[in-house]
Amino acid sequence: MIPVLKLSLRQMAGVRRLLIVSLLALLPVALALVTRLFASPDDAESGEFVTGIIDAILVAGILPLVTMALATASFGNEVEDKTLSYIMLKPVSRWKIALPKMVAPIIIAGPLVVVSGVAAAYIGVDQIRALPAEADYVADTSILTTPLAVGVALLVGVVAYSAVFTWAGLITTRALSFAIVYVFLWEGAISSLMSGVRYLSVRGYTLAVMHGLDETGLESMSDRVIEFPAAIGGAILVTVVFFCLTVWRLKKMDVP
Amino acid sequence: MTYDRASTNGSAIVVQEVSKWFGSVVAVNDVSLEVSPGITGLLGPNGAGKTTLLYMIAGLSKCSKGAITVLGEPTRDNPGLYKRVGFMPEHETIYPFLTGRQLVELAAKMHGLPSISEPVDRAIAMVGMEDAQNRSLGGYSRGMRQRMRLAATLVHDPDVLILDEPLNGTDPRQRIEFQDTMEQLASEGCTILISSHILEEVETLAERILLMISGKLAASGDFRAIRAKLDEHAYQVRIVVDSPRDMAAAIVGMDSIDSVSVGEDGSILVLSRNVAELQTSLPRMAKDNGIRLTRMEPMDESLESLFEYMVER
Repeated sequence: MIPVLKLSLRQMAGVRRLLIVSLLALLPVALALVTRLFASPDDAESGEFVTGIIDAILVAGILPLVTMALATASFGNEVEDKTLSYIMLKPVSRWKIALPKMVAPIIIAGPLVVVSGVAAAYIGVDQIRALPAEADYVADTSILTTPLAVGVALLVGVVAYSAVFTWAGLITTRALSFAIVYVFLWEGAISSLMSGVRYLSVRGYTLAVMHGLDETGLESMSDRVIEFPAAIGGAILVTVVFFCLTVWRLKKMDVP
Repeated sequence: MTYDRASTNGSAIVVQEVSKWFGSVVAVNDVSLEVSPGITGLLGPNGAGKTTLLYMIAGLSKCSKGAITVLGEPTRDNPGLYKRVGFMPEHETIYPFLTGRQLVELAAKMHGLPSISEPVDRAIAMVGMEDAQNRSLGGYSRGMRQRMRLAATLVHDPDVLILDEPLNGTDPRQRIEFQDTMEQLASEGCTILISSHILEEVETLAERILLMISGKLAASGDFRAIRAKLDEHAYQVRIVVDSPRDMAAAIVGMDSIDSVSVGEDGSILVLSRNVAELQTSLPRMAKDNGIRLTRMEPMDESLESLFEYMVER
């Protein structure tokens, strides 16, 4: 598995792609800093921060965008340029090809998204804690509780999204379009209209895990998230199912 | 490698009534063939279905109908078989960020070879790429890429080697070296199947040919034997004698002769449907007529003429 993992990391580590995903990952931190530096104290309510930075930008935007940019390319590039046959013609079980292909985007996207989320959350929480109205909150929680919850949940999101988008990169040459439709139509538009869709949404799992790990700090999310165990189970199920679908596809596909 | 190539007596590759279609397009149509140890050429024009057939033999593509075994095992969904099989696809795209040596090392590692350095060195030496092995693949010429891809295909010393248009982009010297490498592997008992749409490439290389046209197997066997079976197609034979007009007059009376003409250089061009009869009769006819026979040679005893003829049929 190690040779495939190293190969996949080198394939993904193109300068342009890394630059784009790094800039994307920096965006929430930059926004948090701008808010911290220029917003008046009256604007900085914890609910607004959570909705604005963590949910709308980090979880709904940066997390899927960064992961899709990397994970759809994991197999997508090899299908497109027909180099997939080089690894498929080796005496290696197909799961040993699928697993490193899924892990490679996690290795790159994970640190980027988690560090970005933790940093943005830390800046935001630090700002909130400075408000006199939030004295109870300060007394109840550590400054690190919310950033850690955000970091863990984002990592869960990266893993689940990687499984979905790695599979998408294998089944279609238009994986990026598929990913964008999934994220913005299914998880964005449809889940806002039908709350049940959150049970079938990586975004829903991510927010619920985040909330489950820090119910106090992220209380403003409580009316929009599914149950914590359901989120953990859903994330595991999505990851395992899409990994198995990837292995099955590798076994059954006509290699270009 | 310790595989017993002697155990691969008989047919290493068996294709039974295989078809492959993509929607309404039939790419391979009811092909049955067997490939034994030695070098076999798979010939046919572009679009004949050669690559599709090779992909099915290599297990990369599923047969719509029929069955394929290599070394007695099904190739589809059987990655363990690749320990004994090497396949070099036609497309030349390769990881440009790797050096040539890294590509061969990657193949060796994925084959799980117990030692990497020795087989990698040997494979690179076989294709004569020692001097350029540490250069990036992105900077290789087309011929160099082909050779390094071949090294990566050979690194695990396969018993069955399947090469799709391996001589694309190679120069004449590289072709001779390639031929030497293939002949060496064949002499060691390796089963080699090489596809090409350029007949001269295979004419000097393959002991047997499989001729594919429009998705079907049009002919198989020694190309001269195939040619001999096509008795409705006349052979062109060039004859050099000291008295061409007298000899032409004698030849034209034979039953199997379609036409006789005397060229500007004085040689006789005969179109015959039975060269064997011509070969046995000609010396006697020359002797009976007091003519000195200098040379008799078939003009179109090449794969190209066979190929063109088969396509026209």
